[in-house]
Amino acid sequence: MKFTIYQESRIGHRKSNQDRIAYCYSRDAVLLVLADGMGGHLHGEVAAQIAVQFITEAFQREARPLLVDPFMFLSKCLGNAHNAVLDYALERDLPDAPRTTCVACIIQDNIAYWAHAGDSRLYVIRNGQVFAQTRDHSRVQMMIDDGLITEEEALQHPGRNRVYSCLGGGTPPQVDFSRKTPLHAGDVLLLCSDGFWVPLGNDALAKGFSGADVMEMTPELMNRAETVAGPTGDNLSVIALTWEEGYGEAPTTRGSVETETMPLNAHTTQMEGMDKNRARETELTDEDIERAIEEIRNAILKYSK
Amino acid sequence: MPSQQINHPLPFGFQLDRYRIERQLSLGGFSIVYLAYDEDGTPVAIKEYLPNSLALRTEGQVTPVIPDENQASFRHGMKCFFEEGRALAHLNHPNVVRVLNFFRANETVYMVMQYERGRTLQEHIQKHKGDIREAFVRNVFTRLLNGLREVHTQKLLHLDIKPSNIYLRTDGNPVLLDFGAARQALNYNGPALKPMYTPGFAAPEQYKAPEEMGPWTDIYAVGASMYACLSGTSPQAADKRLEKDQVISATKRWDGKYSGHLLETIDWCMVLDHPERPKSVFALQKVLAERHHGIATNQPTWFQNLGQGLRSLIGR
Repeated sequence: MKFTIYQESRIGHRKSNQDRIAYCYSRDAVLLVLADGMGGHLHGEVAAQIAVQFITEAFQREARPLLVDPFMFLSKCLGNAHNAVLDYALERDLPDAPRTTCVACIIQDNIAYWAHAGDSRLYVIRNGQVFAQTRDHSRVQMMIDDGLITEEEALQHPGRNRVYSCLGGGTPPQVDFSRKTPLHAGDVLLLCSDGFWVPLGNDALAKGFSGADVMEMTPELMNRAETVAGPTGDNLSVIALTWEEGYGEAPTTRGSVETETMPLNAHTTQMEGMDKNRARETELTDEDIERAIEEIRNAILKYSK
Repeated sequence: MPSQQINHPLPFGFQLDRYRIERQLSLGGFSIVYLAYDEDGTPVAIKEYLPNSLALRTEGQVTPVIPDENQASFRHGMKCFFEEGRALAHLNHPNVVRVLNFFRANETVYMVMQYERGRTLQEHIQKHKGDIREAFVRNVFTRLLNGLREVHTQKLLHLDIKPSNIYLRTDGNPVLLDFGAARQALNYNGPALKPMYTPGFAAPEQYKAPEEMGPWTDIYAVGASMYACLSGTSPQAADKRLEKDQVISATKRWDGKYSGHLLETIDWCMVLDHPERPKSVFALQKVLAERHHGIATNQPTWFQNLGQGLRSLIGR
């Protein structure tokens, strides 16, 4: 596989960044995942973190180096991540389960597969146009579908933030799956939270990523989104990938990733927006504590002689 | 949540594992230290891991309340507490406080240390303000440096050396206490556990460039502690010194009262620019020992010799 990838998560003008993003690849498969923890709920960033970490770990376990069935993988992962969030809330006796949106994408054998819950989006941009995109699980999206409002009106709608499907909520998420989408060389896959797509709109995204280097264009568009969003701007996160093989001529891009020489069972993983919770990854378990105490006691005994 | 809470100590007579609490000895940002007695009536000092900013114990409570969002940081801090325990457990040196036991209770962890009778160097300085003899300073610090060398050998920096952390046993032998800052300042920049330092004794790099900390960082604190012995008060804080250095050099301030050799050594330890300080405890000890038995009179070549000695050490 050959591709160029850029990801970044920014806090915007919020007190905390509840977005989490990661990508991960083996020799023959790529995972992209983005979760936007829901601010109105307790521990939104915890839900987002659990979802991203859970799905990344599953990918590392199962992509050896190909996934047997990408759709089955996505279905299982999103369902299990939902349950993992609920378990977290139960264990800690939280009054309300934390919630997060989630969009995840697999690319293998030149084909993209994706699934989502909520209003974090995936776009496939081809030849300067939106070739495919996810449909938000939101009230305003339903109103658009029913012809009650236009896309432009929806961006200004006060109920824009209300989603009816997410991981960690009281009801199991409604997860939508894509078609199997063969990729062309030069296609851009874009995963983003609403803090990115709301201020910019589809046209700006499609034009911006048309023929551009994602390494340069993504931060530039993020700057623009932050400017448009102004002083109340939401967290914004983006993973942008340019596919560089498949049908047609492959553009040469600096910094692209080639996976041909990777060992069969190796994975490369990049996570963002997790700095606040980095301690979680290395959290001490009760067994670790007992082991540490045991070790110190043994050292005391040994050295007091 | 208030940024600074006050944690209540365990009450008198409280049975903690096999120890009975007598009273609180000290309260720090990360822990409470108690005097307690074991079942044989031997006094011990027990340090309880209880970071103020992360856990709260109100009056009458035993188990502290740790808000959910603080759990990860609380556990991380616990790791540092283990580091301290682990490092001290491997140290068996007469000039370093001895760890006797380590256990878990009340959702947190405890470190049991040998209780020393005596008083802190801080108390000694206050009692004998302006009347501390050179022999005393040399004696205390030469022996203390033996302990500190052992600490550094274990790849541990103390990072909070100051007169109140130096204990003088009744036999006069100093003991280095409270390794609570050790390691806590290393490897972690999390928001909840800020590295702590004591103004006046903390080296400039502790404020500005923690990645540049090394044995020389503890050496700055040793120099500042010696300075405090002579002046009776803590020297100006290093961050303030960087702005406007108001510390009068020891050589100037106590010229004629103490040997030039001791005063030069103090100034050398307290140089703001860390590469100019003694590189290791050993280097410092060597210089201290050089003249330890000598008589510090006004020999004409004395300063020249020292200057060359210093230069050769710095030059390495």
